Amino acid sequence: MPEPSTAVKNFPRRDARDKLRGHTRYTVDRGRPGMLHATLLRANTPSARIVRIDASEARKMPGVRAIVSAVDAPGRHGIGIADHPLFATGRIRYDGEPIAAVAAETLAQARAAAAAIVVELEPLPAVISMADALAPDAPLVHPDWRSYEVLLEGGARAGNVAWEATVVRGDVDAAFARSDVAIVESVYRVGRQNHVSFEPRAVIASYEDGRFHIETSTQVPWSVRNATARLLNVPPSQIRVTVPAVGGGFGLKFDCALEPFAALLARAAERPVRLVNSRQEEMLTCLCRENAEIRIRSAVTKEGEIVGREAVVLMDCGAYGGEQIFLTTMTAHTLGGNYRLGAVRLASRAIYTNTAPNGAFRACNGVYNTFALERHTDEICAAIGIDPLAFRRHAVLGDGDLGSTGQVFESDVLGPMLDRMAELRTAKPSKRPMAGPRLYGRATTVGTWFVFVGPSAATINLNADGSATLVTSGVEIGSGSMMQALPQIVSNALGLRPEDVIVRAADTDAGGYDVGVGGGRTTVSLGAASMAACVEVRRKLLEVASEMLEVAPGDLVLADGRVEIIGIKGSGATIVEVAERAQRVVGPISGSGSFTGPGVVAMPGCATGHFIDAIDIPVFAVHECEVAVDPETGHVEVLSYAVVQDVGRALNPRAIYGQIQGGVVQGLGYALHEEISIGAKGRIDQTGFETYRTPLAQDVVPVEISLYEGAPSIGPLGTKGAGEVPILNVAAAIACAVSNATGRPVQELPLTPPHVLALLLGNKPSLELPHISASWRDNVFAEPSCVARAP
Amino acid sequence: MRLSLEINGEDRFSLSDPLTPLVDVLRDEFFLTGAKVVCREGFCGACTVLLDGQPAVSCLVPVGLAAGCKITTVESLARDGVLSPLQRVMEEYDAVQCGMCFPGMLMTLTGFLARARNPSREDIKEALVGNVCRCTGYERIVDAALAAAQATVVEG
Ligand code: FES
Ligand code: FES
Repeated sequence: MPEPSTAVKNFPRRDARDKLRGHTRYTVDRGRPGMLHATLLRANTPSARIVRIDASEARKMPGVRAIVSAVDAPGRHGIGIADHPLFATGRIRYDGEPIAAVAAETLAQARAAAAAIVVELEPLPAVISMADALAPDAPLVHPDWRSYEVLLEGGARAGNVAWEATVVRGDVDAAFARSDVAIVESVYRVGRQNHVSFEPRAVIASYEDGRFHIETSTQVPWSVRNATARLLNVPPSQIRVTVPAVGGGFGLKFDCALEPFAALLARAAERPVRLVNSRQEEMLTCLCRENAEIRIRSAVTKEGEIVGREAVVLMDCGAYGGEQIFLTTMTAHTLGGNYRLGAVRLASRAIYTNTAPNGAFRACNGVYNTFALERHTDEICAAIGIDPLAFRRHAVLGDGDLGSTGQVFESDVLGPMLDRMAELRTAKPSKRPMAGPRLYGRATTVGTWFVFVGPSAATINLNADGSATLVTSGVEIGSGSMMQALPQIVSNALGLRPEDVIVRAADTDAGGYDVGVGGGRTTVSLGAASMAACVEVRRKLLEVASEMLEVAPGDLVLADGRVEIIGIKGSGATIVEVAERAQRVVGPISGSGSFTGPGVVAMPGCATGHFIDAIDIPVFAVHECEVAVDPETGHVEVLSYAVVQDVGRALNPRAIYGQIQGGVVQGLGYALHEEISIGAKGRIDQTGFETYRTPLAQDVVPVEISLYEGAPSIGPLGTKGAGEVPILNVAAAIACAVSNATGRPVQELPLTPPHVLALLLGNKPSLELPHISASWRDNVFAEPSCVARAP
Repeated sequence: MRLSLEINGEDRFSLSDPLTPLVDVLRDEFFLTGAKVVCREGFCGACTVLLDGQPAVSCLVPVGLAAGCKITTVESLARDGVLSPLQRVMEEYDAVQCGMCFPGMLMTLTGFLARARNPSREDIKEALVGNVCRCTGYERIVDAALAAAQATVVEG
């Protein structure tokens, strides 16, 4: 195989030109002949028993072609537990829950018919907050939770606790009982964040030749295929999912969404059906980043050793478990990350409430746990009187250190990254003068994330014209990994130009299984599968070339579109000549490959209810920012922002810079002004851009970026995913800097001007979370036990 | 009623109700799907087109009011397949991510750069106050627009 370094280039993206010309057809821009328009009838109450649904009048209305509801979709789906039916079944569990779906000739007709469906409800008590849900005698969101099919054994659950994952390593009680430690305790709370991907969730479905064809804006074609099959109770092989260009995802489209509704309607109406969420529906039922509450306590010696740590994290999953069930796993690696720990115990619980379900959002779980961990770390430093930078440099995970679940980390990465940040800091003057009379703060934070590996498949057809077609189920959601990283990897392996690698758009009838685009896994998992496919293509190509040139295959190299004899430039033949000959003599050349995470060992018994016990590819980040806080208004201005990010190998540095700038800005929105509140009736108050404020051009600064290369990675060519992690420690950095500027403890996000002003005026009562018991054991159903051995 | 429209220099006719938002007429009747519907409330700028050279959010303009104006959409920026200088520089700078905001960004900036004299970085950011991008974090779009503006100054 050629040198990895020759794969590095700022290869431009093929899809840019049509996107700039307005020619790209996203799912929302598509149609099919004879297509119907669909809408959902959604609940407008958070909790009720469904007494009766009567669509008989609605069915007779003009243009109506099909109406479907719970009786038409008997299945339930979910992650870990199958708790989620397609339509509200028996009861309404959240405001916005679909009750019925209507397809008609026009959207206006569909809406009119939906409004004419008679729904008789009997109100039931609702739990809106996690405190409500955990109260003694709280009404249950799922009274029949025991009867649900369990898809992964191991998570403890009961009542409104949808899932509990715990980690226990070492003797935490003994650590806290030591006489030489300071004990620091903190609580934090964060709200939800809406992805606001510009293309809403959208789908066009048809039913042809006894199979469904679903064209959709998704990150996970195979999950859509499998979940739709489950919900409709048909074999997954009856479903084909194809994905055009996706107009932004950020995790929102990491779950099955509108697809099964459209599929059901298409089968019922025998016509293609289009279903698109309005912006208001996207705001109200978004699968937001979950709101969370965290209690964390540490026992730290005066030298700065963290000898004991315990924490409880409550994650609001809304009315159905969804992604949050899986994300309980992440606490071990995010809140349990960054630092060398003695004994540790962590509990992470997904809580049912009568609110819209939450989902995955870029560095899911990580952003708030990193916020909590880094603020807590600063509180530790204040308590024991150590400089926060010095503490971090000393305490961060290094070579041979144990993670919370007992995995052994390889190589010193965070330490040298902190040194790199120190170099950036000293190379440039501080922006302090720009703060003028305002309060000035600076902070440096660290973060631990990982690449979510998992299965991927790839097939490569080497065409007789010297181009290669890469067939996978990967989706280009905007990050460029499908358009830039994969062609670079394949072309490097085959000696082609990246522009000669054609990337097939995702189609589950063509590409093999894939977990989906998310968790920074595209370059790694699809890249590794593509590399494996290249190995087969190379072998076949070199065999034919070897015969043609009468040279052993081992003496041949592929480069610049040629098969050459090693050391003799211009020798041999072009790849076109070899591929043409192959086609005639042995048949067209193709290769296939696959990949999955090899798995890393954790300590047996440490982690319970986890989907992943240890992380295959850790990814680290160091962020630093300077802020100015206006004491009159509470407005926070970001003066500078710098990122040192662990990328393994930067295949396309310019594309990574773009991901970092974009991810940091999404994090600034989360930290400073993207606020979601939920009214007493369980409805999200923010319905659009007017009330939900995303960052604008004038709010942001250019991020100074340094890519840290060379940390170990099992990714192809030493890569790690780079698109997910840039948002990870933004809220942490901003919160620590605002805390430093104001001298007040920041316990909640976002730091809107009223919030900051209240902090400054001392009007903000200290956060209390009485529903998280101060005694860790009272917060868990089951406590695993695992005694740390020396690694 | 038949509405006469001038879209990208061509005379077109629409049978839509005059109160229909212009963006729906462009997209659904003429298949000019470059302009995107993202908020329908005038906040995101993704549906921006030029009306007589002025950027306007086409989700809030009833098509009846656009009759008699020169309507310019993103599809017209490239001539005979050749990108406009602004499009070219966006491509050169690798500014595009998901791409959904770009049609609106380009129309706002095209309108702005046609008038602005030697704009600063801050001027460009101010011009983009009505255009949200969720992917890029803006700076590279601003870099590219600045480069386009400077190229115009040099050429002009
Ligand atoms: S769709 Fe017109 S401004 Fe957002
Ligand atoms: S590139 Fe995706 S919204 Fe701007």
